[in-house]
Amino acid sequence: MTNPILITGAGIVSAIGNNKAETLDALLNNRSGVGELVYLKTEHKEFPVGEVKMSDEEMRKLMNISDKAITTRTALMGMIALDEALKEAKITPDMIPNIGFISGTTVGGMDMSEQFYLDYVNNENHKEYIAVHDCGSCSEMTAEHFGKFAFITTLSTACSSAANAIILGANMIRCGEADIVVVGGSECITKFHLNGFNSLMILDTQWCRPFDATRAGLNLGEGAAYLVLESEESAKKRGVKAQAILSGYGNACDAFHQTASSPDGEGAYRAMQEALQLADIQPDNIDYINAHGTGTPNNDLSESQAVKRLFGENVPPMSSTKPFTGHTTSASGSIEAVFCILALQNDFLPVNLNWSQPMDDGIMPVHQPVKKELRHILCNAFGFGGNDSSLLISNPRFDELNDRPMVPEPVEGPLYVLSAKQISVQQPLCEDWMSQPVEYQALFNHSIDPSFKDYISPIEARRMGKILKRAIATSKEAIKASGLDSIDAIITGTGYGCIENTEFFLEALSKDGEQMLSPTYFMQSTHNTISSLVAIQTKNHGYNVTYAHKGISFDSALQDAVLQMRLGKINSALVGGHDELTPTFYNILKKGGMMGKDDEMCGEAAVSVVVGTKGDDYLCKLVNFKILHKPTMERLKSFAKDFQADYILTGISGNHQSDEAYLAEAKELFNDAKLLKYKHIFGESFTSSGLGFYVAAQCLKAGKIPTHLFVNQSEITDKTPSKILIFNHSDGNNYSLTLLEA
Amino acid sequence: MDELIYTLKQQIIEALNLEDMKPEDIDENATLFGEGLGLDSIDALELIVMMEKNYGIKLQDPAKGKEIFKSVAVMADFIAKNRTK
Repeated sequence: MTNPILITGAGIVSAIGNNKAETLDALLNNRSGVGELVYLKTEHKEFPVGEVKMSDEEMRKLMNISDKAITTRTALMGMIALDEALKEAKITPDMIPNIGFISGTTVGGMDMSEQFYLDYVNNENHKEYIAVHDCGSCSEMTAEHFGKFAFITTLSTACSSAANAIILGANMIRCGEADIVVVGGSECITKFHLNGFNSLMILDTQWCRPFDATRAGLNLGEGAAYLVLESEESAKKRGVKAQAILSGYGNACDAFHQTASSPDGEGAYRAMQEALQLADIQPDNIDYINAHGTGTPNNDLSESQAVKRLFGENVPPMSSTKPFTGHTTSASGSIEAVFCILALQNDFLPVNLNWSQPMDDGIMPVHQPVKKELRHILCNAFGFGGNDSSLLISNPRFDELNDRPMVPEPVEGPLYVLSAKQISVQQPLCEDWMSQPVEYQALFNHSIDPSFKDYISPIEARRMGKILKRAIATSKEAIKASGLDSIDAIITGTGYGCIENTEFFLEALSKDGEQMLSPTYFMQSTHNTISSLVAIQTKNHGYNVTYAHKGISFDSALQDAVLQMRLGKINSALVGGHDELTPTFYNILKKGGMMGKDDEMCGEAAVSVVVGTKGDDYLCKLVNFKILHKPTMERLKSFAKDFQADYILTGISGNHQSDEAYLAEAKELFNDAKLLKYKHIFGESFTSSGLGFYVAAQCLKAGKIPTHLFVNQSEITDKTPSKILIFNHSDGNNYSLTLLEA
Repeated sequence: MDELIYTLKQQIIEALNLEDMKPEDIDENATLFGEGLGLDSIDALELIVMMEKNYGIKLQDPAKGKEIFKSVAVMADFIAKNRTK
């Protein structure tokens, strides 16, 4: 039996307060934080927003960060919330190296990129901010203010990011990967997404009115919140009490449209149902639902339908707290989870402010203060692309919780790599690189693309950039080759997402100003657009998330699949690693020291693999897997013994100055193994570790290693490989070990 | 009007990135959304941006797009009556 997940600490900052006490006071007194724009420099003063009531400078001062240090508003808000969460849970600095940190964000460092974009393109000014554009950097800046966490990754599923970070953390604890994981999300308001939501015409110029007949859109908000998740055993040992219990959670994909929810709320319905099932709680035991309730005509109708389908005539009290804070997008899942914890602890139902008239076919929200003891709460967070999640948060005061359902022990044992497909700078969707690799002289090369007409009709392709087409083509090929009729989960990793569309939107914003921007470019700039589009294309309602954490984006996606298979949640997963590069962004990233160091070759990668719990015809077995953040040599050695192989596939590029150190480290950890490389023909990209996985799997299937993959000529052998370890450490910060066996 | 209809078809193809499509392929009386070309709400928003850029027409309510974007002919008629550039 696995014990439940306790929430032993929480921290929050949003428009209604800079900590939990202020937040509670605002919630109890129906005090909204939505108002006129103060801090964001934008022309769009007509939109009310829920800004955190501090400038960047004031946040720096509060967190003791010098004026010169490179940081972003998202990271600063993250630090404020994380500080409170760690303090509440009595986590001391010495404990940090054994704790995981999982954050959700979509904006990342966009607040800086949108100010300095033209500098990035044209000159050397502000180039130090280039390295903090991506989501992963934001999470690391937030975390590193407090020490070296054991593991860090970033979820980016638009407005459900933080909820999905909470789910991953819970799965890690249930699998015994950690005793304590800090989870949540952070997101500041930017001109980028204010204009983006405006281009989608879903912003209200009045205060938002969720579930009201006159609702006309959302108000943007910002903020951060983190929860400390902990196993019961660990909490008991440390003598800390549970504020609440995470007794269930669900994630499903609406697989309907990239920005709109389906009329019947299929994804939302499935997510809530799954949360109830996991907790083994009947719908009539739910005392309150904190709705996603954005205030857009579409969301509120779809969510109402989903709730009615699940609860029938007996819909529990329900409210949207977005009129308090505005829609805090990627952070909303954890911010509203903290509201739920406060409601449980203080026996009240948060009011759905600004509501006056019932909508047709809608739910009737809580519109007056209600004092009530609460046992179980559902907390919804839905994202673009139909990435829908629901959390079930329970009150530890009730005795019935001692009589918890049995959760099966995680299953150990190998998983099977059923298929692996790539589109890269090598010949696409085949293994020609084994015998005839394409050789390159240029330092940056585009992928060789197949004809996409076999996979996507021209009308479907009209809004897709290259990365989306490649992701769909490799996904469809991988699913076909897996021999499976259906896939249980779609999990994607991407360092930068659809960078071409992001570039177009940033360029238009910088040059043409804040008018008439393309909704397509904005919509496609969210990282999860890849995974959700694959779900739409393959009509897949299963678990669906996207990771955006630098060089371990693919690895994070793979880890998620492994955890869920061990927990018996899924039996198969399509795991993707996708990144594209444009000439403009290549030059920007090079300027920022993120890519193209020395004379390393850079490329693009689209890799799709199907992993399953069983299979007759497979490429290889996946026997062990681990991601580590800034490990000491001692820590690496403690894991290395479980990852011994006859070959080590390294990520050296062939002419990088740090290659020598990389190889020396590999030799020290795995002394007898022969060293291999793959980036000399595939190039560097943020998801090249996915290519490493693909290369190793295909070598094991073929029963041979092409001679050009050997680092040392003297080690060349035609012996059939039995085990290959993919030893990845992209930037020296994050390591991943993946052991594959023939 | 014929000239406006032809130009409009070109602008629609460009704004919506309808690969492999020529103005001749679009029947100006056929419905653009749903059954016809199979366009969706995001395309409607792109057309709103396109109308503002090329003809100076500001559409505040996306729901109005439904009538205006019924077909290319209806759209051309609306533009002819409301254009500011």
